[in-house]
Amino acid sequence: MKKEYGALVVGAGIGGIRAALDLAETGLKVALIDARPSLGGILTQLDHQFPSDHCGMCKMLPLTQRDQSSQYCLRKGIFHKNIDIYLHTELSGLEGDPGKFQASLRRRSTFVDPTRCVSCGLCAEVCPVRVPSEFNAGLGQRTAVYLPVPHNIPNHYVVDLDNCQRCWRCFEACPTKAIDFKFSERKDFHVIVASADEQLSQDLSLWLKDENFPLHLTASGEEAITLLASGLECGLLLLDLDLPPAETERTLRRALELRPGLAVVLLTGPGKEEAGAGLLELGARETLSKPLNKALTVPWLDKLFMRLVSDETLTFEVGAVILAAGFECYNPADNPNGCADLMLYGSHPGVLTSLEFERLASSTGPSQGLLARPGDGKPLRRIAWLQCVGSRDVKKKADFCSSICCMISIKEALLAKRLSGGQAEATIFYMDMRTSGRDYQRYRDEAENSAGVRFVPARPHSILPGPDGDLLIQYYDYSGELREEIFDALILAVGVRPPKSMERLAQAAGIEVNDSGFCSTKYLSPNRTSRLGVFAAGAFGEPTDIRGSLLQAGAAAMGASRMIRVYRGPRDETPEAEPQYTDVSRQVPRVLMALCTSCPTLERNVNSELLHQRMEVLPGVVKVVDVERACTREGWESLRQEAEATEPNRVLIGACLPYVHVPRLRELGEALRLNPALMDVVDIHTASFSGRVTSFGGHAACLASCATEPGASPGVCDCGEAARTNEMSSLLAMAAAKLLGADPSSLPQATPVSPQALVVGGGLAGMTAAMGIADQGFKVVLVEEAEHLGGLAMNLRYTLEGDDPVRFMEDLVEQVEKNPNIRVLKDSRVVLSRGKAGRFVTVVATGEGVAHTLHHGATILATGGHEVKVYEYGNRVHKCVLTQLELEQRLAAGSLDASSLKSVAMIQCWRSREESRNYCSRVCCQGALKNILMLKKRNPGLPVYVFYRDIMTTGFSERFYTEARRSGAVFIRYTPDSRPKVEFKDDKPVITALDPVLGADIELHPDLLVLSSGVEPSDASEIADLFGVGLTADGFFQEAESKWRPVDFLKHGVFACGLALGPATMRDSLLSAKAAAQRVVRILNETHLSCGNVVAEVRHTLCSRCGRCISACPYGARSLNLDRDKIVVDELLCQGCGSCIAACPNSATVLRGFHDEQVMAVIDAALAVQPSAAARL
Amino acid sequence: MKKNTHPLISFTPETHQHAVDGGLAAIQGMVRACMQCGTCTASCPNAFAMDLAPRQMWRLLLFGLQQEVLESRTFWLCSSCYSCTLRCPRGLPLTAAMAALKRLAGAEGDHANRKKALFYQEFMRNVEQNGRVQEMGFMCHYFLAMRDPLLPLEYTPLGLKLLGKGKLHLGGSAQRGRLGPLFAKVRSMEGAS
Repeated sequence: MKKEYGALVVGAGIGGIRAALDLAETGLKVALIDARPSLGGILTQLDHQFPSDHCGMCKMLPLTQRDQSSQYCLRKGIFHKNIDIYLHTELSGLEGDPGKFQASLRRRSTFVDPTRCVSCGLCAEVCPVRVPSEFNAGLGQRTAVYLPVPHNIPNHYVVDLDNCQRCWRCFEACPTKAIDFKFSERKDFHVIVASADEQLSQDLSLWLKDENFPLHLTASGEEAITLLASGLECGLLLLDLDLPPAETERTLRRALELRPGLAVVLLTGPGKEEAGAGLLELGARETLSKPLNKALTVPWLDKLFMRLVSDETLTFEVGAVILAAGFECYNPADNPNGCADLMLYGSHPGVLTSLEFERLASSTGPSQGLLARPGDGKPLRRIAWLQCVGSRDVKKKADFCSSICCMISIKEALLAKRLSGGQAEATIFYMDMRTSGRDYQRYRDEAENSAGVRFVPARPHSILPGPDGDLLIQYYDYSGELREEIFDALILAVGVRPPKSMERLAQAAGIEVNDSGFCSTKYLSPNRTSRLGVFAAGAFGEPTDIRGSLLQAGAAAMGASRMIRVYRGPRDETPEAEPQYTDVSRQVPRVLMALCTSCPTLERNVNSELLHQRMEVLPGVVKVVDVERACTREGWESLRQEAEATEPNRVLIGACLPYVHVPRLRELGEALRLNPALMDVVDIHTASFSGRVTSFGGHAACLASCATEPGASPGVCDCGEAARTNEMSSLLAMAAAKLLGADPSSLPQATPVSPQALVVGGGLAGMTAAMGIADQGFKVVLVEEAEHLGGLAMNLRYTLEGDDPVRFMEDLVEQVEKNPNIRVLKDSRVVLSRGKAGRFVTVVATGEGVAHTLHHGATILATGGHEVKVYEYGNRVHKCVLTQLELEQRLAAGSLDASSLKSVAMIQCWRSREESRNYCSRVCCQGALKNILMLKKRNPGLPVYVFYRDIMTTGFSERFYTEARRSGAVFIRYTPDSRPKVEFKDDKPVITALDPVLGADIELHPDLLVLSSGVEPSDASEIADLFGVGLTADGFFQEAESKWRPVDFLKHGVFACGLALGPATMRDSLLSAKAAAQRVVRILNETHLSCGNVVAEVRHTLCSRCGRCISACPYGARSLNLDRDKIVVDELLCQGCGSCIAACPNSATVLRGFHDEQVMAVIDAALAVQPSAAARL
Repeated sequence: MKKNTHPLISFTPETHQHAVDGGLAAIQGMVRACMQCGTCTASCPNAFAMDLAPRQMWRLLLFGLQQEVLESRTFWLCSSCYSCTLRCPRGLPLTAAMAALKRLAGAEGDHANRKKALFYQEFMRNVEQNGRVQEMGFMCHYFLAMRDPLLPLEYTPLGLKLLGKGKLHLGGSAQRGRLGPLFAKVRSMEGAS
C-alpha cells in the first residue's frame, strides 16, 4: 500500500495534533501516526490543566471552515477531512529527500477489526489476565484485551499480545467476530527448522503438533535453502547457530535473498550471543536462547505467528516529517540504586508520582476522583509534594530541568484543596520554584497567599513509614533546624524522559539526539532537527508545557509547510470546488430514511417490520428504505441511487458508528446538491444492545413490567426485542423531528480573503513571522516604528549555547529586505484598522507623511518590548553599576577587562516577580549565567556572587547553571522580605545581605554590581485598541487562551508573537513567530472564509440590548453595534456553543440548527408513547 | 541544636585570595556545583552532633572562610558512611571532601586543630602496631598525647560502660605487626604521588 501525503506527523499527542491540524487546515493531506493504540498522548490521562482547571483541548479545533472537521471533543477523537490517523504504528525508516521522502511504517495489529468491534466489552469480561493499567498509571488493573482510553471516539478494544495467555476466550465471546487471531492461516504458515540437533528437532515437532503449523525439519542450512528455493511459502525459519558459522551466515543471506522480509529467528546456545548479534544486523528478526523449553517456546512461537501474519508495513510518500513523539514520565522505580527505596516508592502506598496523583484526582480514575490513599482508602488531607525527582540530577543523567513539574505541583496542590473542600493541607518541598511564564508567578502567589499552599525550600532526602500507614518526612529547614512532619501522602513530582522508543525512532528518522536523549535542535532554529525536512514538535526537542508544546508544534508545522512548498514547487492540484447546494428553503420537507440492515457485525435483534411501519407514518417521511451494509462502498452507492430516485430534501440514516459516516455525508451532499446540514446519521446499533444494559426504556424497565404480569417469565417473552425496537424507533423519530425543524436557508455570505498579511513590528519575532509567510508565497507588509529593523535582539552579543546573534540578526534583516514578497515600511505607524478575519483595511502613516491603505487578510502584532530602566541600586549614578545587557555589550566590545576585576556581584529579579511587574522576565537568569561564564572564561579566579530568588533555567539551560556553579560562582538566595542592601563607599558598592544557609549577614565589596533588570512590553495600548484586542495587567497582549491558543487573539485573524506576548528568550520568540506565521498562512490560503452550520443569530425585535450575551460568549463573537443599536454576531467567531441562548432573558438569541420549536419537537418525539408499549400499559 | 549566630562575614578580595593560597581551593573545587539543597545534611547520621550542619559547612567553604571551616568539628565527626555522597543530586564527592578537610586541618590547622587530629593519628598508629585496634592502649596513648589530665576522667563513665559489656579489648599480640606491609605500601604510594 503506497499513499501520498503532504506531511507525516509522528506522535498524536497534543503537539502532533496541533501540527497536523495546522497543516491540514492549509489544505495539505496529513498522515498522523502514533505508537500507542490511542490518540491524545499523556493528555488523555490528565483531566485538569492550570490555570482554568479544565481540559480545553477543543480550543485547538479550527474556528473557520469548522465543518471540515467534525466538532467532536478533541480529547476523544479528531476528525478532519485532510487527516488520516494510523494508530499502533511506528516509523521504521525514512529514505529520500525533503519534498519526496519515502517513509516506511510498521503497523502493529491490535487483532480487533475496528469495523466490526462495537465496544460491547464482552471480551474483557471473560479475559482472565490482569495487568497494571497504563491509563490509570498503574493504580488500576486492566485485562489483556482492553480499551486503551475509555473516552475515545471511535473506541475499540485492542489485544495486548504480550500479556495474552492465548486462552481464546475473547475470540469465542466476541458477538461480532471482530477478534481475529488468524486461526485459518495457521495451516499455511510453514516453519522450517535448520538444526543438526536431533533432540531439538524432536522436541519441536512434538510440541508444535497441536499448533497446526506445517513443520519442516532440516539438518543443515543447505536443506533449508533448497526447501525455500523450491517455492515453499515459508513463514518462519528457525536457524540454529550451532551449525558452522559460515553456513549460518550463508543460509541467512540466501534465505533473505529468496524471501525478502522473511522472519529468521536464531537459536543461540551459550557462548553464541556475539555471533547472534552479528547476524541480527544482517536482518535476522530475533534470537531465542537454547535450550528451549516448551512452556516458553510454544507461546512465543504462537505469538510470533500472529504478529507476522497480522502486522502490516505501510509506505508513504511524504513531503516533510514532523516528529512529536513526546516524552515519558520518569519512573522512580526504574533506578535500582536511585531513589525508589529511599523514597519508599513502590513499597508504601502513600508515595505516588504526580501522574498517579492526577489519576487519583480524576473522575475517571481508580477512586472516581476521591482523594483516597490506594490500599487503605484513607482520605488524603496532609499531602506533600517533592520537586525535582528525576530532574536536575546529574546522577540520574538528568542535567536538565523538566520545566513542567513546578506548575504541575502547584496545580495539584490547588486541586487537592478544591477536591477536599479546602481541608487538605498542601506542602511543596522545592529547590527552585520555576514559575517562568508570564502569568505563572501570579498563579504561585495566589496558591501561597490565598489558597494557603505551603512552599518549603528544602529537600527531604529519605522518607520513613509513619504511624497508621502515614509517612514521616524529615528535613532540615534553612535555619538548620531538623524538622519532622507526618503526611498522608507524598507526591513525587517526576520529571520527563525521552520516549522509550527514542533510540529506534532516531535511527529510523535519521536524526541526532542530544546528551539527555532528546531530539537535538539548534537554539536559533528550534523547530528543526539535524535532518533537513524533519521537524521537531511538542516536547520532543526540549521538555516543555502545553503552551510550549503547541508553539513548538506550530513552528514545526510552519517549517514543514514551507519545506513542502519550496521542494514540491507550486501545487499543481486544482483547489477543490466549493460544493453548490440547491436552495430547498421553499420546499415541503421530504425525509428519506435509510436503515442499515444485514449488518455484517450483528444479527439485528429488532422487529424491523414494526420499525418500518412506525417510521413510515412519521410526519415528513416520504420513504423508508433498507440499505444493506451502509458502511461499505456498495451500501453507500445503493443509498445514493435510492436518494437520487426519491429526491428528498432531508436524509436520515440509521446505522452504526455515526462518525464513520459523517465524512460520507459530505460526498452525498455533493451528489444530491443537498446541504449536509440537512442530513443526519443515527446510531441504532448501540440501541440493539440495550437489552443487556439498563437504559431508558430498555430491558430493565421491560423486565420489571414482565415480572408484574402473572404467568410471564422474562426469559420467554419477547419484551427484549420489543424494548429494543421501541428505543430504536424513538431515536429515529427524534432525529427525524430534528431534521424537519432544521433551517434550510443558505448560510451567511462567506467572506472573501485578501491574500496579504500585515506584520506590525520589525524585531526578531516580526521579521521571522514575515519570512515565514513570505516564504510560502504570500505578500507581507512589515511595519516598523523605528528607522531600522531589528528591535531588542540587536542588543545581544552572544548566547549561552554559543551562537552568534549579531550575525543571525544581520542575516535576517538582509533576507527580509531582499525578499520580493515583503514590503518593509520603516519609521511608520498604524493609524487605523477596520474589518475582520480575511478582510482588514488598515492605514499606515510613514514618517514622510505618506499614508498607505492596506488590504490584508490577517495581522500579526509583534510590537516587542525593551529592557526595564533601572534607577535604583546606584544604576545611572555610579559607573560600577551595570545591567546584564550592558555588561554583555561591554564584554563583547572589550571595553571592560575581566582580568582587572577583583570581584563581581549580581542581583537577580530586580523588581520582577512582585507587584507592579509580577512576572518572571525569563531572560535575566540566562543572561546572568551567560555573563558569569564569560567572566569566568576570561578570569577563572574571579569571585562572582549572585543574589537570586529562584534560578529559572528551565529545560536544557539548567546545564549552564550547573556549569556556572562549577566554575565557582557563589549563589546566595534572598527573599523579597530581606533583599540585599547596597551602599556606596568611595564610589564602590558595599552589599549587605543575609545568607539563609548560614543565617548570617554577609558583606561584599565588589568592583562591579550587575543588575538583572528584566524586560517589559512596549506600550501597545494604542495598537491593541486599533485592532480590538486585549492587554494583560502588565501590558502584554492577552491571547485567546494562554495554553491552547497561545498566539491567537479572541478576535479572529489577529495574532501576536514574540516579546509583546510575554517574556521570551530568542528561542521563544522564534517559536511563537513561526507558529503565528502558520496561523496566518492558514487564513490566507483560503479564497473565502465561511462559518459553521451551527451559529447564533439575533432576533432584533425581541432583543433588549441588555448585553448579557456579550459577556456570556466565550469566543468574543458578540458585540453591541452602537451605530445601529443592535447586538451583532461575528459568524466566523461564533462556535455555536449556545451560551448566549442560555443567558438571553428574552429568547432573542437563537442558535441556527437548535431552534426552540425544533428542540421541543425532538423532546416530544422522545417521549411519544409507542403503540405497542401503550397497548401493554 | 545549635543556632548559628555568626558575626557579619565580610568578603574582600583578600578573603578569596587567602582561601586560594591556604589550600582550600582544591576542596572548594570538589563541592562547587553544590546548590544547597540540603540532602547531605538530611542524610547525615551524625548531623545531630555537629556544630555546623554539612550544608552550612559547605557554604562557608564556598565562601572561602578557611578559618571558620577548620574551627568547626563537623568534618571530624564524619564517619565516612557515604550516605551524602550516594544521595547528592549533583554527584559531589562529599565524603572525600570531608576527608580532605581532615587532612588539611591536620597539616595546616593551628594547635587546636592538630589536637583534634590526634585522635585519628593515635587510632591509626594503634592499628598499625597491633593489627587491629586495642581500645585500652589506644586511649592511653591518646590521653598522653592530649596532655590534658582531666580528659581521662571525662571518658571514665563511657569506659566503664564499655568494659562492663566486654567491648574493650585489653591487649594481645596475635595480630601484632600484621598490617605493617599495608601501611608501608600506602606510605610508598603517597610518597610516590
